[in-house]
Parts: sequence; structure tokens; C-alpha cells
Amino acid sequence: MNRYSRRHVLRLSGLGAAGVLLAACGKQAGVEESKNVKSVGVLPETDGLASVEVTDIVLLRTAASLEYNAIDTYDAALGLGVFSGAFAAAGDIAKRLRDDHRGHADAINGLVTKLGGQPFTCSNPRLDEIYISPALALITDTDTEDPARDVLVLAHALENLAAQTYQSVVTLLSDKALREAAMTIGQDEARHAAVLARALQPGVQFILPSINADTGKPNIAAVPGAFGPLTPILVTVGPVNADGTRSSLTLETPSLNSLAYDSMLCA
Amino acid sequence: MTLPAAITPTTKADRALLAFANAAEFAARDVYEVAASVSAFGTEEQVVLVGFHDHHRAAAQALAGMAGSAATNERSDAVFNAFRGRVVGNDKSAIYDALRELENTLASTHLSLVGRLEGTGAAALVASILNVQARQAATLALLAGRPFAEALTNGAAPLTIGTGT
Repeated sequence: MNRYSRRHVLRLSGLGAAGVLLAACGKQAGVEESKNVKSVGVLPETDGLASVEVTDIVLLRTAASLEYNAIDTYDAALGLGVFSGAFAAAGDIAKRLRDDHRGHADAINGLVTKLGGQPFTCSNPRLDEIYISPALALITDTDTEDPARDVLVLAHALENLAAQTYQSVVTLLSDKALREAAMTIGQDEARHAAVLARALQPGVQFILPSINADTGKPNIAAVPGAFGPLTPILVTVGPVNADGTRSSLTLETPSLNSLAYDSMLCA
Repeated sequence: MTLPAAITPTTKADRALLAFANAAEFAARDVYEVAASVSAFGTEEQVVLVGFHDHHRAAAQALAGMAGSAATNERSDAVFNAFRGRVVGNDKSAIYDALRELENTLASTHLSLVGRLEGTGAAALVASILNVQARQAATLALLAGRPFAEALTNGAAPLTIGTGT
């Protein structure tokens, strides 16, 4: 008769496997300890990122940077000389909105100075790189059918982005007076967006959200809902691609990788 | 990396402010109900007025949710009576102007609330309502045939908190 049952054999083999695993994880004689994560080979030393703080000053400097993004975009749009025909009046709107953004930038930087910070007097480089430069490159492509309309679409998106940004910092700013100051400008941006939406889609039927019957995509709406959204903003501009579609960019409010931290300086 | 504090809770004083806004929003809803029934408006225009009516109702309900038992869920008669008589008749531009003044008054009121609320969650809600009402005011200015520059400004004074006037 066999001395070991099937259960005994399985239990013993399990213990043996666990022992081998523990031995493999333990220190081994003659092997130098490394502070790197356990790995094959040796990883290079890293300095790590500088410690940064998201303060009221940083949030306001970021808002100022967005104002300069808008100023630069309107300047670029006006420089294109595209506002004619159906969009002849849009040139006056663009000039007024650009001037409003100059006022906003000064007001925000005034607050930054009052808080002891360094004013931020240039556009946000990250947003330039990922949103505005690619969008302007598409708009100025020679195959773009209606650059005037596309410029207004981009401006409308930037105004929405600005309105969302001011709205979003309300929960982050530590001072009530700063929240009110931010929303004083935020509501201005919302008005800008509504005026541009009406310039793009003058019909009464486009004030509230609607769907384009041809494309199945949402039309631009002056008043897109009952509450100010904080959702990504889709911008479709530029020439029609070979597959019949147009390029789209998705704009989002500044995040940790696009804030104007204290150490960031304008060139 | 140091991040700002998490959302701060609503205080008792906040709830009183939110209840005030709740009553003002229900008044706006009722003003739009009167305006939307004016026969001078076509179907598309009525759709817009009903849409704005619904936005004010949604705002009132959201404010009630945050004000809790402090919310009366009844309109401010002072606000309603101040505008009701101006949104009747056949002059559509005059009605749009009155509605724009209502929106701008509420926008100014909400802006002052953002500067008074302690809780950041409540301030964020009011800020999101403010941004929509600023859009509605701008749109109404353009519907009234005003120059676009008038759509960009708000000269209305806020309501006196506590009295609704």
C-alpha cells in the first residue's frame, strides 16, 4: 500500500515551489545592492522634476497666458486678411475681442503683481504647440476652402476654452475675491463665445444645441446648455482630406503640464 | 508637487445665499413662461425662449440641491413683478431687451455670490450658471438688434441679497 496519498503529494510539491520562489526573491551572496528598481542591467541616475506648487499666482499666471494666446490668435487672424464677404463684419468683432483680451491680461497680471508674483506676458507655450499652431497651419493651408470661417471657428473654441478655464479655477483659488475677479473675466469670455457663435450661425435655430443634418455632428450653439461645460472642445478646421474628412483638434483646459509655474519666464 | 485644497463644503451662510439664488432663478423661469406665450414670437423664437426658461428651472433645481432645506423652491415675487409687465405686448425687441436686463441682473447677482460663498463646490455651481446666463444675455442683445458691442457688456446691478430687489 502506498504511504503517501495524492493529497500529501500535492501539498508537499506546493511547499517546495513556494520555497524556491522565496529563495529567488531574497538577497544573494556576492551581489551588490542597487537603489534602482529591480531590473536587468543598471538604470541611469535621474534628477527628478523640480518641486512645484499650484498656487493662486500660478493659476492666475496661467489665465494670463491664455489671454495672450487669444491676443496672438486674433492678431494672426486679422493679419490673414480673410474677413470679407459674408464675414466682413467679423473683422470688427475680432478687433474688439482682441482688445478685450488685452484688458483681461492686464487685469489678471495686476492681480498676480498684487499677490507678489511675476506677471506672465506671453502666450502659453504648451497650448501654442498643441492647439493653436497646428490649427493655424491647417487654416492657412492653400486647400482650405473657407479660411475666414475656420478662423472664427478657432476663435470661438478659444473663447470657450477661456470661459471654461476661468470657471474651472473657481474651485482651486483659495481667495473668494480672486474667484469673483476670475469670473468677472470668465463671463466676458462666455459673451465673446456667444457673439462669435452668432457670427458663425446667425439663424435663431442655432442658438440652442442642434445637429447638422448633413454631417450628423453638433452645430455651433450660442448657448450650449443650462450649465457652463468643462468638457473637451472639438475644433474642425482646414482642408478636406483624401478620405473626405477634415482634421479635428480637441482643446482642453490647462492641466498640470500646461500651467504657468513660477519658474516659467517669457522670452 | 503641491496642489490646492480639495473642494470645501457648503456652510450655513452659503445655503442662505444659494436659497436666495434659487428663488431668483424660479422668478426668471416664470418671466420666460410669460414671454414665451406672447403671440408675436414665431415657433423658432418660442423654442429659444422655452429653452432659456428650462435653463433657469435647471439652475434653480441645482441650487436647491445644494441649499438643502434652506431652499424655498418658490419664485421671488419681487424679481418676477419687476419684469413681468415688460415681457408682454407685440414689441419683440422691447421684450428681448427686458429679458436681457433680467439675465444681466442675474449674472451680476451670481458674480457677487461667487465672491461671497465659502464653499468652493457651491461657488463652482454658481459660476457655471453665471457663464450660461452671460451667454443668454449676449444672445438676447443680438436678437433685439443691438450692436454686438452691447452684447459684450453688463451694466446691470446685482439684486440686493436678502430682499430680492
